[in-house]
Amino acid sequence: MGELTAERLAQIIEAGHSHRREGDGSEPRFDEGQTVRTINHHPSGHTRLPRYAMGRTGTVVRNQGIFAFAHTNARGEGECPQYCYAVRFKGSELWGNAAHEQDAVILDLWESYLETP
Amino acid sequence: MSGHKHNEPESDIALRVKAMEQLLTEKGIVETNAIDLVADYFENKVGPRNGARVVARAWCDADYKARLLADASPAIAELGYSGLQGEDMVVLENTPQVHNVIVCTLCSCYPWPVLGLPPTWYKSPPYRARIVREPRAVLAEFGLEVADDVEVRVWDSSAEIRYMVLPMAPEESAGKSEEELVDLVSRDGMIGVAAH
Repeated sequence: MGELTAERLAQIIEAGHSHRREGDGSEPRFDEGQTVRTINHHPSGHTRLPRYAMGRTGTVVRNQGIFAFAHTNARGEGECPQYCYAVRFKGSELWGNAAHEQDAVILDLWESYLETP
Repeated sequence: MSGHKHNEPESDIALRVKAMEQLLTEKGIVETNAIDLVADYFENKVGPRNGARVVARAWCDADYKARLLADASPAIAELGYSGLQGEDMVVLENTPQVHNVIVCTLCSCYPWPVLGLPPTWYKSPPYRARIVREPRAVLAEFGLEVADDVEVRVWDSSAEIRYMVLPMAPEESAGKSEEELVDLVSRDGMIGVAAH
């Protein structure tokens, strides 16, 4: 790998480095409004499914499109591009009775983190 | 030399940065000019003033606001702001019923082209841990009381989307020009820990 030059870096800053990818034509597994549950795994190493949101039930609010999957990409296991969804969790689903009933947390979650309850 | 005074030793972080910079350049990994370019970019080119211009435009121009909420990155690029960590933006509109606030609980993701680098507290474990768990208490510590009937939505930037909050225009915005409105928009308002 060559030296990172100012010219190259200026290009990266200006053009950005999007992880959005073209799909292979497959349909999204989940629709907006659908109830989903996050998987409950506790991997060592890189994950984009925070522990506080593992094994929780939420609602898909937005399909964000297809992105390289950071979980595998960070481990050198390939990009595995897939749909990513904004999923809304009620505060009480995450924090129990301590939560205000009008609180919600929204996370962007790749399809591999989601299943049908 | 008589009368010569030694300066205070440099801070640990300054020494660490110097050591890193020296290693990166001496080993031929990064050009010195590239480091200067990054420093210049974050010191002079990006910062919350950019985001404030986006907000002020949205307050003045309903068509622009509609484009911004529908597909934020191209709308933000209309004002000349784009690039790294702004590739896939979503803008969240505050309303009388909904207050939005952003965080990155896993690290410190932040929309650089519109807000620059995040403040230290945004990256701190207490903010990241508490804003998802007790957002109203944290917002109150910032001086923002949210009414009980208002929904608080905390957006945890856990993937590639970068978020920015579109605050509600305050009462004092009435009759002001777009340029004057820019001064009413704060960084904290676009993170969602202030009203605007």
